[in-house]
Amino acid sequence: MYFEDVELGVTRQLGSYTFTEEDMIRFSLKYDPQPFHIDPVAAKNSFYGGIIASGWHVASVWMKLVIADGQRRAGNAETRKGGGVSPGFLNLRWIKPTRPGMTLHYDTTTHEKIELKSRPDLGLIRTLNLAVDDDGETVMSFTGQGFWPRRPKG
Amino acid sequence: MIDVYFENLPVGHVIELGQHRVTREAIIEFATEFDPQPHHLDDEAANASILKGLSASGWHTCAIMMRMLCDGLVHRAASMGSPGIDEVRWMKPVRPDDLLTMRGEVKSARVSKSRPEMGIVDIEWSLFNEREQVALMRATGLYQVKNPEAA
Repeated sequence: MYFEDVELGVTRQLGSYTFTEEDMIRFSLKYDPQPFHIDPVAAKNSFYGGIIASGWHVASVWMKLVIADGQRRAGNAETRKGGGVSPGFLNLRWIKPTRPGMTLHYDTTTHEKIELKSRPDLGLIRTLNLAVDDDGETVMSFTGQGFWPRRPKG
Repeated sequence: MIDVYFENLPVGHVIELGQHRVTREAIIEFATEFDPQPHHLDDEAANASILKGLSASGWHTCAIMMRMLCDGLVHRAASMGSPGIDEVRWMKPVRPDDLLTMRGEVKSARVSKSRPEMGIVDIEWSLFNEREQVALMRATGLYQVKNPEAA
């Protein structure tokens, strides 16, 4: 599947992930050791009222589910040719705290296609990505970006 | 000790953070859990990829930046968390043994209209290895206002 074949407005469910307190603390001890991420007592006394997941943990799980989804589809015609390289992302919003035991459901929607003057062999696809809780409320959103190979001419 | 409040982060203020040594083990450990693509896991596959060598997952780079922020700023700041990140650019691969430093410049600072005890500060963070800039992050942080009546 090439850049030219990507349809806009198509949503894929990527899967779900349940955050345990142990898992959240393990991530945050390494990468985001703020009291409300690592210390149940301090978290209870903070303005969050209890342990919440690092926003980077919630975002990293998105990547985990994207890879797992790609592996399930490996070999399908709709799989991207070549590796998944990204120049970065835009507008990451942490809208609602993720608390122990919460399950988040992740999805991705193709949103925008950009031709690259500097790289005629590549296009940039932007996606809208959501993590939603069991009540259907959005917990995290961001715009992802990925390079896709163009269909060879001729 | 908490000594960084909203008032200490005016527009143009520069913050230097560092240093963080990236290890091969950390790159592989993060990628195994969150981003198991061959160019983050395996030297041979990485050498054959367009990134030409083992490199950290971009999300790992973000997590490292967060850790550097925690160690260098947040632990002594009256921080109230972050509502989000306007942009991250992964500019160059982050490699095993890279020694990273980070520099932030305050781009805007304003007191919340609805919550006068809270300041909203936009900081543009640049991440460097020993040779060049490798990433950029435009982040919004919330900081307690020390003197809400004066701000």
